[in-house]
Order: sequence, then C-alpha cells, then structure tokens
Amino acid sequence: MRRRKRLMEGLDEDIREHIERETQDNIECGMTPEEARYAAMRKFGNVTRVKEAVREVWSFVWLEQLLQDLRYGARVLRKSPGFTTVAVLTLALSIGANTTIFSLVNGILLRKPPVHDPDRVIIVSNKWAGNGSEWDRLPVSAPDFLDWRTQATAFSGMVAGNFDDYTISGGTIPERVSGGRVSSNFFQTLGVAAALGRTILPGEDQPGHDHVVVLSDGLWKERFGADPGILGRVVRINGNSYVMIGVMPSAFHLWDFEARMWVPLAFSREEIAPTGRKERFLRVFARLKPGITAKQAAAEMGTIAQRMAEAHPDTNKGWGVAVKSVQEYSIEDSNVTTGLLFLTVAVGFVLLIACANLANLLLGRSLARQHEFAVRAALGARRTRLARQLLSECMILSLAGGGLGVLLAHWGVRALRAQMNWSEGAVSLAQTLQIDVRVLVFSLTISAASAFVFGLLPALHISRTDLNDDLKEGSRSFTRGGERHHLQRLLVVGQVALSLVLLAGASLFVEGFLEEIRASAGFNSHNVLTASVSLRGLEYYGAPQREAAFFENALRNLGNLSEVESVAVTSDLPFNFPNERNLAVEGQPAANPDEQPRCGYFVVSPGYFETLQIPVLQGREFHASDNVNSNPVVMVDRAFARRYFANENPLGRHIKVIEGGGTKDDWREIVGVVGDVNEFLGQRDSRPHFFEPFLAHPAGSMNFVVRTRSSPAGFSEALRRAIWAVDSNQAIARVRTIDAVIADAGQGDDLMAELMSAFAGIALALAAIGIYGVISYMAEQRAHEMGIRMTLGAKPTQVLCLMIRSGMSLIGIGLTLGLVTSLALPKLVAAGFNGFHASTAPALVAAPVVVAVAGFLACYIPARRAMRVDPMVALRDE
Amino acid sequence: MSTKEERARIELLQGTLDLLILRTLLLGPRHGHAIAKTIEFNSEDVLQVEQGSLYPALHRLIKRRWISVEEGTSENNRRAKFYRLTPKGRRQLELATRKWDKLAGAIARILRPGEQEGEP
Repeated sequence: MRRRKRLMEGLDEDIREHIERETQDNIECGMTPEEARYAAMRKFGNVTRVKEAVREVWSFVWLEQLLQDLRYGARVLRKSPGFTTVAVLTLALSIGANTTIFSLVNGILLRKPPVHDPDRVIIVSNKWAGNGSEWDRLPVSAPDFLDWRTQATAFSGMVAGNFDDYTISGGTIPERVSGGRVSSNFFQTLGVAAALGRTILPGEDQPGHDHVVVLSDGLWKERFGADPGILGRVVRINGNSYVMIGVMPSAFHLWDFEARMWVPLAFSREEIAPTGRKERFLRVFARLKPGITAKQAAAEMGTIAQRMAEAHPDTNKGWGVAVKSVQEYSIEDSNVTTGLLFLTVAVGFVLLIACANLANLLLGRSLARQHEFAVRAALGARRTRLARQLLSECMILSLAGGGLGVLLAHWGVRALRAQMNWSEGAVSLAQTLQIDVRVLVFSLTISAASAFVFGLLPALHISRTDLNDDLKEGSRSFTRGGERHHLQRLLVVGQVALSLVLLAGASLFVEGFLEEIRASAGFNSHNVLTASVSLRGLEYYGAPQREAAFFENALRNLGNLSEVESVAVTSDLPFNFPNERNLAVEGQPAANPDEQPRCGYFVVSPGYFETLQIPVLQGREFHASDNVNSNPVVMVDRAFARRYFANENPLGRHIKVIEGGGTKDDWREIVGVVGDVNEFLGQRDSRPHFFEPFLAHPAGSMNFVVRTRSSPAGFSEALRRAIWAVDSNQAIARVRTIDAVIADAGQGDDLMAELMSAFAGIALALAAIGIYGVISYMAEQRAHEMGIRMTLGAKPTQVLCLMIRSGMSLIGIGLTLGLVTSLALPKLVAAGFNGFHASTAPALVAAPVVVAVAGFLACYIPARRAMRVDPMVALRDE
Repeated sequence: MSTKEERARIELLQGTLDLLILRTLLLGPRHGHAIAKTIEFNSEDVLQVEQGSLYPALHRLIKRRWISVEEGTSENNRRAKFYRLTPKGRRQLELATRKWDKLAGAIARILRPGEQEGEP
C-alpha cells in the first residue's frame, strides 16, 4: 500500500521529467522550443489517461468494477420499476414472514426458564393412569414430597411450591393475586437472587417464622409503586400479617407456575399426617446433581415411587413419577405447539412460493434479455463480465429485499408481542420474544441464494448456446419461444396449487376456531360478565352459613341493579376443568374405590342455568328452597344422564357423592337434567358432570356470572361496588367477560387463526404476483404475434381472450392440483388437533374461488395491456 | 471454445510492451525516457509507442515485481527514477521470449510457407 502511494505521488513529476527530456531531445534535433514541447507532448499522449491507467494498475480493480456494476445494475433496475418492486417485495415478504414466525416458534419451543443453568432444573410430577388415559403432570402430596427429598440421591436440591390465589389487603383496595408457598431453599435451588432485599431463609419454613413475603417485580411496581422502602413493612395476606423482605428481578417468571408473591411453605399438621398423602397439591422442582442425567433421575424416582406404593398402598397404589424439564412441561401444557407446527409448514410453503416467484420473475426477465446479452457477447463482452453484471443486479435485489425483510420482521415481531396477551405466561413470553438472528440469516440466505441462482442462469445459458441462434431468435422470438416457458409455466402451476392449499388450510383453522367458540359452547356467551371472589383471609372463611350469607347478599345487591338481567354464582366457570369427586349411582353395584365413577361437579346457586341460558332438558332448576334443611338434591348434565342411566329417566333417581373415600353423604335425588357445557375449546365428547345447590353446600370461593341487558363493558365497576357493599375487605379477581374466559381457554388459538389467515393472504398475494409476472411476460413476448394477428383482422377482444385463456389454463391445472391436495387437509388437521372438527366444505369452496379470482385479475390486467398495443408498433418493435 | 488458449493469446498481445521493457532493462537500469528512447532506437523507429503508455506498463511490472525502482541521478545530474530488472523479471523475460519466438515462427511459417526452415 505504501509502495503504491509513493509511486503514485512521484508519477506527476516523472511525467513532467519525461516530457522535459523529450523536449530537450527535440530541441537538440533542431526544433524551436515551442515546437519541441508540442511534439513531446503529442508523443507522450493524453497525460490524464496515462495517470488513470497507472492508478488502475494499483487500484482494487475488482472493487471499483463492482461498484461500477452496481451502479449500472441499479440503473437497469430503475428502468423496470415494476419488476424491481415485485422482486423486492417478494423477497421482503418471505424474509419478514419467515423470520417473524420462526422467531415465535423458537421463542416458544427453545426458550429456557430464567433460572441458573436451566437445563439442570426439572419438574417432578405424579403420574396416574386409569380409565383409559394417563396423566403425568399431577401434583404431589406433602408426605410424598418429604419422602422423595430424603430418599432421592440424583438431585442437589429438591423444592416444592403450592401455587394458588391470595388476597392482599391493607392500604389500598384488596386484591386477589397469584402466589406460591415455596420451600425455604426454593430460590437457592433455582439459582435466582432477589433484586432487592433477600429471598426466604432456611428456618423460615417453620410455623411461627413463616410470615415473610417476597414480591414479584410486577406486584411491587403496581401495588407499591416500586418503593424500595417497603422492605420490612407489613402487608396483610389472606388476613394475616407478613413482612415484606424482598423483590425478585422482573425477568423471574416460572411460566406455568404463575406467582406474584412467594411466602414460605410451612406444612400444617394435617398436610404431613399420613392421611395427607391423598392431598396432592404440591409442584416439585429439583436440580440435577452434576453428572446425573434426567433419565437416571427418572429411573431413581420410579424406584422410589414403587417402594412408596408398596409401603402406602391405600394412598399411593398406581401412582408413578414423571420427570420433565421446565421446558418440556411448559410446551406440553400449551396447545400452541401443534398450531406452531402448522404455522411452520405454512411458512415453508410461503417461502417456496416466494422462491418460485423469484425464479419466475428472474427467468422471465433473463429470457427477455437474452437478445441483449447475445448482442453484448457478440460485441466482445466476456462471459464473466456479463455474469458479474447479472450478479450485481441480484445483489441489489437481495440487499433491498433483505433490508426491507428485516424491517418487516421487526414490525412483525412487535405486532406479535402486542398480540400475545392471553395469559401472564404469554405476556412474559412476549417480553422475551425477539428477532432470532439465526433464523434471519437463514431466510436471508435462502432468498438471496434463490435470487442468485435464478438470476445467474442466463449467464450460464449464454456460454452454452450458439450466439447466432440467440441473435436470430431474438428477432423472431415467437417461433421457438414457447418451448422455453415450460419451467415458468410449471412454476405458476405450482404456485397456484400451493397458495390454494395454504388458503384452504388457513380457512379451516379460522372456521374451526369460530366453530369452537360459537357452535359448541353449550350456553349463550353474549353479554355475560364474570368475577372470581374468594373469602379466604376474611374472618368468616370456613364458616358455611356466613359464607352463604355473603354471597346471598352480594347476589341480591347485583340483582337489584337495573342493568342486570340475572346473576348467579358457580364454583367453576365453563371452559375450565371443575374439581372431581368419586360417586356411587343408585341401582348400580358398589365398585371398589379404584373403579368408582368419577365426575366433575359444580356448586351453583339458583339461577345459574337461567343466567348462562343453559337449557334445562328435564325436571327443574335449583330453587332457593334447595338448602341445608331440605332434601338433598342434585342436577346432572346430559352426558351424565347418558353415561349412567342410558335409556332410563334419571329424574327421581339418586346418586351418592363419596368424599375422600368415605360414604358420609346421603343419597341425593336428581331433580333436573341440563345441556352439556364445554370444558375446553373444540371439545367433541362431553364428559359427565353433576351440580350441587350452593345453598346446601356453601363454599368460600365462587365465581359470579352476571348477564347484563347491554354490553357488560362498563359494568365491572358497578359489579365491584355491589360486592364491596357487602364487605369492603373483599378482593375481587379476574373481572372479565365470558368471551374472554373462552378466549383464555383457547390459549392463543385465535392468534393462531389470525396468523394462518395472514399467511394465506401473503401466499395468495405472492401467487397473484407470480401469475401476473408470467402472464405479462408472455404478453410482452407475444406482442409481435398479436400485432400480426390484429393486422390480419383479429379483434382486440379475441386477442384478449387468447391471452386470458392461456393464463387461465395454467391456473386451472394449479387449482385442480391444489384442490386434490386440500382434500387431505381436514384429516391432517384433525390428526394434529385433538377433537378438531371444522366442517371443511366452505373452506374448500371458498379458497379455489378466491385463488381463481386473483389469478384471473393477474391475467386480465396484462392481457388488456397486450390488447391495447398498436399492431404497427408491435411489429416495428423488433 | 477453449478459453485457456484465448487468454494466452490476449496476454501475449497485451504484454508486448512489457516484454520490450524487460528486454531493454536487460541491458541495465534506465529511467523512463531512456527506456522509450531505447525501444524506439532498437526497433529502428518502427515501433512508435505512445510514450505515455510506458508508465502504466512500468507500474504493472513493478506490481508483479519483475522490475524494481530506485531514485538516482541521470548522466546530466538530474534526479530520476531508475528501473531495474529483478531476477524474477529476468526469468519472466526468458519465458516470454521463448513464447514469442514460437509464435513468431509459427506465424512466419504460415505466412511464408516453404521459404526457410531454420528459425533459431
């Protein structure tokens, strides 16, 4: 480099010196000084050009030529703005869409819990099989946990948590928050420290020392205004005083184990009594010892479970242990996973369509430019030089498309984050969601590679073919041109088929989702507001009569409001899994405890079925007279009646609820049968349930359901006031419409449906662009032919029809292919989604129509342009 | 087509001036003007090179390290850059001369068939 600089600097002087000498020589030969100088300069030649040439010797020739090529390429691309726009948009859309979706997929599937060395933290659950299904995510009882902890050797730490809702009161309004009672070494085992203050200390899990609380960052900010001075202050939780000792970092969130505050887990006497083995309520986390694999740990836990089943057959027989990483546990928990799989496939399709599009566009363009390249090659342009120029055009396209794609991905991820609000877990996931760089690089590479490959094809072509042919054919292109478009036509057919499949798939999802919500809920979800209330922490919690009085008063207050049509309370809302009880059915042989019928049950107040408009099929609803003093009665749903009474009339028959293995309850009479209500979205076979009258079985934790006369949007304040009018210390949680309850149960199914339709839209747009590109290219190629046809008397409309026909025939083939493929979709989707049953007919009719219309437009516009061409211009054009 | 041969041909044509420069420097280091003069003189003024084109060629040779450049003073005590053949350049000159002879012989045989066999 320095050599170059030195030599370049001396150049001027050298040249001057050279001319000076030549002049001197000329003077010696007898010229006048003026003549001599002139002759010397003429002999030397153009000084500027010489300097330029010398500089070129030393410059990075390839770089400068590249820049030159890029400038030229940019000029060429600017000259065909339509092509450039479409190519860049295609690239950008595919890169953007791909990156967004894979970022989401990776965000969900590959995320790690925010704890120290997350791969070593596992969740140990109870496993139970029976009645034809297996559950491996069940909680653990306190005595079992304590035994596990002493016996297991695979773990460096094992901790438990009991996650529930708590009432925080004192100061501002009472609030119901999720929280956990956790082992004293919970945070140490997970390897997370408090952001402020401290976490729970050993010994604080002893009764009497356990009144300390650690807050989540969110709760600290929302309820305490992020005041660092709260440490050491007292807050009331469930009516007891707790000292606030620390605040966790904002990132700390155990996904499925939602908690906004943690208190020490001090086991009560009942919990660790032998009978406590039946009460499974703990979630157990453990950290693997170094060198121990999860498999080894699972094997050891299996042995321990077996030993305990033998030692405590009445409580532990049939119970096994499942070991999962936090990641596995969370992924299994969300039915987002299957949807993600579909999305991934959809994204793959979109990428395929985009690549086909690019190939189409670039091929079409290169075929159109074959003549140009042939001329340039004939004039002496080297093949490498032509290739380099094509390459630079591709590079500009890729850079522009890629840049825009990154921007789209950025917006896409931001939009997704805003959409992910169906649960706190989703929100915390959304916070960590960001553009996945690996994915971005991958999509950039794929798209750019396809641009390069298809962009460079013509350069290869030139080296292979006889220039003469190209030159000749260029002037009479329609003679042999048809053969060349096979590849392009194939691509269009493929694109049409792919976009149809995608569109059909997406509409299946959307329809399926809508159907899930609307058709099969089993009640009228319009204008219903719900709210959860728990009396825990209030002094009359656990006193049935006072609890009943509280809810009766609240119901009366609410019923008196003019906006309210009807109101009731229920132990569990629809689209949630209720608690289950073993029971005996009158007239059927008493089964041993393992084979007793087991059903979900609801405790509901009179008016519940009326409020949700669940049809009473037989008998009557509960009355106010169905209370502790009256004959014990129950209601059942249709699935229950069908399961246990087959063809007989269930009214007047009796069932007995067996609580906790005993038979203390009396036979209860069935007084009514109601329609089935879903427990989860897309449920196909309803499970049996029975209903108990609230007034006979008062409980402390209930959900209000209020049907309002108009939209319940503004009613939540009135609802709170009506309840607080009974007891102002009462925390009210989760005030939401029942539609929101359903959407929450969907765990983002609606987001999935939206994403699928967005994808189908993008695919359709890309396919239309592809069709448009090919048809307009064909129209351009055949302008000459059309010119002749029109000169010979063809009418413009005939030409139009001809063009459209040639386009639509391709679309027809693509549609047929796509339709055949789509027919298999419902089965595929049903196989992937348990209980998914969308009617497929509308999707399979609508999608081809949409694709056909888009395809027709994509043909019509360029065909019309071809029709308008002046025949003379077309003929002269060659 | 065989691109290899084509490239060789082009290089030979392009490199003619380079060859002449190298040959000139075989006689000893010279400054630019002297090189031009020597070529003109030795070719009996047949080769009327545009003297300016000498400089890009010189720089090309420097870049390839076939010649080196040094500051010096000329016969009449003027400062000048002297160009000197490097060992690498000497080898290149031998190679290029052989190539040139071959080509010239071949062309001569075609153009004057049967005249004389004996090219040295």
